[in-house]
Amino acid sequence: MQSITSRLVIGTSLFIVLFFVLLAVSISYSVHARAETARYDALKGVVYGILGATDIDNNAMLTVSSPNLPDDSLNSFNANLYAEIVGNDRSILWKSNSTVQPLPETSIRPINDWMFEKVTNEDGIDLLRVQYVIAWELENGEELPFIVHVAENVEDLTTQLKRFDTVLWLSLLGVAPLLPILQWIMLRVSLKPLRDIGLEIDEIEQGERDTLSESVPKELQALTGSLNTLLSSERERHSQYKNLLGDLSHNLKTPLSVLQNIGEKNTQTGQSILQQTELMKSSLARYAERATLKAPRYLSPSVFVAPFIQRIANSLYKLYDSPTVNFDVQVDSSFSVRIDETDLMEVLGNLLENACKYGAHNVHITSDHDQKAITIKDDGPGWPVGDLSQYTQRGIRADTHTQGQGIGLAASVQIMQSYGGRLELVRIDSGGAGVILYFS
Amino acid sequence: MRALVVEDEPTLREQLVDTLRQTGFAIDQAGDGDEGLYLAQNMPLDLAIVDLGLPGKDGLSLIQNVRKQNLNYPILILTARDTWQDKVDGLEAGADDYLTKPFHMEELLARVRALLRRTGGWSDSVMKFDRLSIDTRAQQVTVDEKVIELTAYEYRVLTYLATNGGKVISKSTLLDHLYDEDTDRDPNILEVFIRRLRQKLDADKSLNPIETLRGRGYRLALTRSGAQD
Repeated sequence: MQSITSRLVIGTSLFIVLFFVLLAVSISYSVHARAETARYDALKGVVYGILGATDIDNNAMLTVSSPNLPDDSLNSFNANLYAEIVGNDRSILWKSNSTVQPLPETSIRPINDWMFEKVTNEDGIDLLRVQYVIAWELENGEELPFIVHVAENVEDLTTQLKRFDTVLWLSLLGVAPLLPILQWIMLRVSLKPLRDIGLEIDEIEQGERDTLSESVPKELQALTGSLNTLLSSERERHSQYKNLLGDLSHNLKTPLSVLQNIGEKNTQTGQSILQQTELMKSSLARYAERATLKAPRYLSPSVFVAPFIQRIANSLYKLYDSPTVNFDVQVDSSFSVRIDETDLMEVLGNLLENACKYGAHNVHITSDHDQKAITIKDDGPGWPVGDLSQYTQRGIRADTHTQGQGIGLAASVQIMQSYGGRLELVRIDSGGAGVILYFS
Repeated sequence: MRALVVEDEPTLREQLVDTLRQTGFAIDQAGDGDEGLYLAQNMPLDLAIVDLGLPGKDGLSLIQNVRKQNLNYPILILTARDTWQDKVDGLEAGADDYLTKPFHMEELLARVRALLRRTGGWSDSVMKFDRLSIDTRAQQVTVDEKVIELTAYEYRVLTYLATNGGKVISKSTLLDHLYDEDTDRDPNILEVFIRRLRQKLDADKSLNPIETLRGRGYRLALTRSGAQD
């Protein structure tokens, strides 16, 4: 799925292209219109000036006083401004010195009508022209209609406007790509808090943090607050679920003890009771454990491992009557893993007790930050010859002479797997057994 | 030997009490933590078996309170809570061993014997003194390899003196550790037990196993031998 940034950038880019095209067309049109209007106004002034320099006698003889013309260029032969006065019969009554070539024909218009248009002369040159139809009232009361026809060569103007258009389009085309880039940068900056939240959620999933940071823009505070509440209630729910299962299991074990003790009386009924209690015990152990081993890693807190190892070692000193076993704990105090405390203690307890059970005297526990691993090595008899992986299966034990149900090692394997880690059995060159716990 | 059983489930408590009595223990029992703590602090106990989930004061607090008063008899936790966290918490609170329910009575007795042996500094279930040997597992006493038949009370007196081998035990202490609280005690009966024990263990008067210290009490006068920590 496309990112919000790319959607916005693509959408806005299309809009910007459309906007700039319309903007350029509109600017160009208004500049052209304005330039032409200014020229027409000037030409209108020339028309009035010509009328001012015009005189018509009673014989309808029209004369234009050259010195009184409004623009000197009309008297020049190679000027760009042309003027003529055309009679109703299309006869040229007067034309300026500058009008060397004939101007395009005038059109018949009503009296007092102004006409502005753009035309091209015989040489293909663009002209702006004004026609004004006037009825000159003679002293005898007659009216003499004629047309004042003024035109201007606008090659220069056209060139200027073309240049303007070029500059306009180039500058807009130059700016247009900058805007999406600018917008992309602004979006990157604006959406950074959202990306940060995404990264934090990844970290929570990886088990590297507990909650989302609270220092987010206020628009996102409701989101992060709700997610944090959800996480904490989920942790609470999981813990309640685990406790309830634990309580159920514990509450069943006391009556099971009673039944088992009755069963131990050597009668036939007693034997049946014993068989059934054994079945119930194994079901209880299997299902309660299976149900609690589904904790997502992000629900577990980060815990330092060293203190737990030391506590278990101290407990084992007590249980196994020290100094028969010596635990050499070389675990970095900053070594932490994301796992439920109960589960961590279960794994370590099972493994360290195994070392005691199987006749080790020295147990070395070390940590490896890079591999996120804890290694437990002992100087006991070591693993039996054969495939080591079989001892991590439920119910299979490496020996048959020490107490236990053979589920300790397999339970530790399951716990490690449920947290995305693994447990590896290794043989020690000097003869002992080794277990490496790889936390993910 | 005098043991305290704190367990709130009455049937299980009865089973424990019966088994321990048959094994030669004088028993105090409680069905809740408060009564259990009172007995634990005030009775001359040699051992306590404590459940963790109790009405009133919980088992862990009970054990912590006992240890705070410098009472050092062994405590065995008997609980349905079987995680290592519970185990470590219990042992850190001051318990000496931990047994999870459901359990086999034989295992409980083995743990109890082991704890008592540890208290007396023995590493084996057989306590040996010169020619006298007491097998706490089989509850069998031999002198010169010959089995001596003892009554339950005679056996209790002998094992208590043996466990505290070398120490002088006063009559009242011995009575405290032999009898339940509600049993009628007669100090004179103790003298009868001691006399009978001497007769049974030392028919030819060559061993002199029990020494009487006038006004102070009795002592097992034999030299300890065999496995010893």
